[in-house]
Amino acid sequence: MTMRCQEALERLVEGLTGSVPPADREAVIAHLATCARCRQEAVELEATAARLRESASFTVPPGFWPAFMNRLTDRMAQDRLPLLARVRRWLGSPRHAWATAVVTAMVVIALSAAARLQPRSATSPDPSLVRARGLVTETMTVTLPSLAEMLDIWRAGMTEVDPHLDALQRRSP
Amino acid sequence: MDAEDLRLLEAFRGGEESAFAALVIKYRESIYRVARHMLGNHEDAADATQDVFIRAYRALPRFDGRSQIYTWLYRITVNLCLDLRSRLTRLPLLDDEESMRDLPAGPMIEEEAAGREIGRIVSRAVAGLPPRQRAMVVLRLYQDLPYQEIARIMGCSEGTVKATMFAALRKLRRVLAEQGVRAP
Ligand SMILES: [Zn+2]
Repeated sequence: MTMRCQEALERLVEGLTGSVPPADREAVIAHLATCARCRQEAVELEATAARLRESASFTVPPGFWPAFMNRLTDRMAQDRLPLLARVRRWLGSPRHAWATAVVTAMVVIALSAAARLQPRSATSPDPSLVRARGLVTETMTVTLPSLAEMLDIWRAGMTEVDPHLDALQRRSP
Repeated sequence: MDAEDLRLLEAFRGGEESAFAALVIKYRESIYRVARHMLGNHEDAADATQDVFIRAYRALPRFDGRSQIYTWLYRITVNLCLDLRSRLTRLPLLDDEESMRDLPAGPMIEEEAAGREIGRIVSRAVAGLPPRQRAMVVLRLYQDLPYQEIARIMGCSEGTVKATMFAALRKLRRVLAEQGVRAP
């Protein structure tokens, strides 16, 4: 097989197994017009590709996808738990008491700065809330009860309730 | 990135878990199909599809958005399936009793039975390819991905995809001919 044949057949396979740009298709056709060996090979490769495509569809058992989604949701929920347990243990150890205090203080400072710097608009979502959403994770509100309390106080001044923060706080113990 | 995927990604990062569920619903069938072609049976494919989305759920917050979400999901799928296959010494267990094709209900006529038999032979032939070759064939033939995208998923050059696809199709032609499977 010459290099030209190899290249032409490789492009041919690309075309047989999926879509290719029209220019590539034309180059292959031009080669096949002059090369009987590649024409023979092309016929056989085309038949193979057709056979492979033909037996492509699968069936899943009835009710498979709803059960799949339920199992996935359960696993996602479980997936979140070990992390919380780890963080709780970490926070429980006395040598991290200072770190916890520092993190809490930083969060309080960041949130109050965000609330002060961004004036609220009556129509658009409050930018300080948007900013707070990025700062406050579920893990933080669950593991730092003081933060949850502080959020309550901070939010008392807001007229519009952010459903995200609301949901976070409902989930925290 | 696909505009709809981008919206879902941003919503997920904003704390909406339902945005992740929407991504799962959008891509679960494609992922399952790839896994089933790679692993050869429903049970393994179903487990692999679960694991793909669990891995994606953990990693999505760090997803950089430079590639399409589906490219990223396919990469997770292929790596997971290659990893699973390398841990099994046996050939993939194929669904022999189960229909490989969507056939209408009712008494099976001869032609349908022959179709099922051919479907089994084709599945075995694809399953017999070396794992990386099989992955490329599946992504191209059954997901219709461009060579460029397949190269990205497989972590190789486009030239490698080109040469591998050619070698794989020639091998499949030979195997099918040996099994007496002719042109449709
Ligand atoms: Zn030629």
